Amino acid sequence: MHNYIAVVFDNTSKAYEGLHALWQLDDAAEVTVHGTAVVHRDAMGNFQVDTKETHPALATAAGVGVGALLGLLAGPAGAAVGAAGGAAIGAAAGGAVGITADLVRADTRDQAAGETRFVLGAGQSAVIADVSEDWTSPIDTRMRSLGGIVYRRAKSDMEDDVWFDDYYIPSSYLYPYEYIPSSYYYSW
Amino acid sequence: MIRRDLEGFTGLVEIGGITMGRVYTSSPTGDHVMGKMDTNIKDSLDHIRAATQELHGAISDAATKRGGATKADLEALAQKAKAAAESAKASLGTQHDAAKKHLADAVTHLEATQKHVTESLKSSGQAFQTAVQKALADARASAQKVSEAVAAKRSAMSTKNPK
Repeated sequence: MHNYIAVVFDNTSKAYEGLHALWQLDDAAEVTVHGTAVVHRDAMGNFQVDTKETHPALATAAGVGVGALLGLLAGPAGAAVGAAGGAAIGAAAGGAVGITADLVRADTRDQAAGETRFVLGAGQSAVIADVSEDWTSPIDTRMRSLGGIVYRRAKSDMEDDVWFDDYYIPSSYLYPYEYIPSSYYYSW
Repeated sequence: MIRRDLEGFTGLVEIGGITMGRVYTSSPTGDHVMGKMDTNIKDSLDHIRAATQELHGAISDAATKRGGATKADLEALAQKAKAAAESAKASLGTQHDAAKKHLADAVTHLEATQKHVTESLKSSGQAFQTAVQKALADARASAQKVSEAVAAKRSAMSTKNPK
C-alpha cells in the first residue's frame, strides 16, 4: 500500500534517528521509501523544513510543496489551508513552511473522516515520508521504539481530497534518498 | 568513481559525487547518505535506483552551486542521465512484470532529464534556470518511478514467498 506518513518526535536528534531507521527498513526491504524530509516547528510555532542551500525559486517551491503535504496529512480540510500557508510562507522565506495543521484541525473536527490527528507541536520535529508498505508494523514498531508517533494517510485517500489534482505530486519535494544536513550528522 | 560489477547489473558504473556504501563512522559531509550497498546483494533495479538518486542529488547540487554550474558539470549530468536511461532500458526485459510499467515511465523521465540538461547547456539567464529546474523535476520523477518499481517487485516477491 502506498502511504504518506508523518512521524512526530520530541526533538530534532530523535527525528534524524527516525529518518535513518526508516531508510534502514528500506535497505532491509521491509518497506520501500520513495522520499523523505524532516520538518521542525519552533517555539514560536513556525515550521521549517530542512533542505539543502538552494536557489530561492526552488526554496519557495519546497515551501509550497512540503506545506501542502503537511496539510494533506492533517486531513481533507487541512489540505487546502496547508497549500495556501505553504505558498505564503514559502514565498517569503526559503524553505520555511507556514501551516498550522493543529489549528486547521480545530476547525474541522466534524470532518473526521480521513483525518490522521496529525499535530506537530511547538518544539517538535517530524519525519515526513512517502512509502510503500505491505504491513504497517515494521514502521510502527521501529518508530515507537525511538519514541516516535506515526500518522499515516493512504495516497489514494489524499487523492480524493477536493483540491488534489494530477498536476500536484506531493512527494516531489521530498528527498529520494537519505539526506542529513551536516549540522545533525553527529547529533545522535 | 565507484565501480560495481555485480551479476545482472547492466553497465551503469559511474556513480560520481555521491558516496555510495558509506559507513556511518566516516567523516560527516552533510550530503546524501545512501549506505545501502554493503549489507545486501543488489540487483540491477537497485543499481538503477541508486543511479537515479545520484542523478537527482547531482542536479540538485548543480542547481545550488555558488556561481552556477559549469559547462563541465552540465555535460557530466547529461552523461549521467543518458547512462541511467540506457541502463534502465536495457534492464526492462529482465524485470518482474509488476515493475516494468514503472521502469518504463522512469526511462521517459530520464530521457527528459537528459534533454533539459542539454538545453541548459545552450541557454542562459532565466531560460537556463528553467531548464535546470525542469531537469531536476524529471530526475525526481525518475527516482520516484524506479522506487515504485522496486516496491512493486518487493511486493510481488513477498506475495510469492511470504515471510
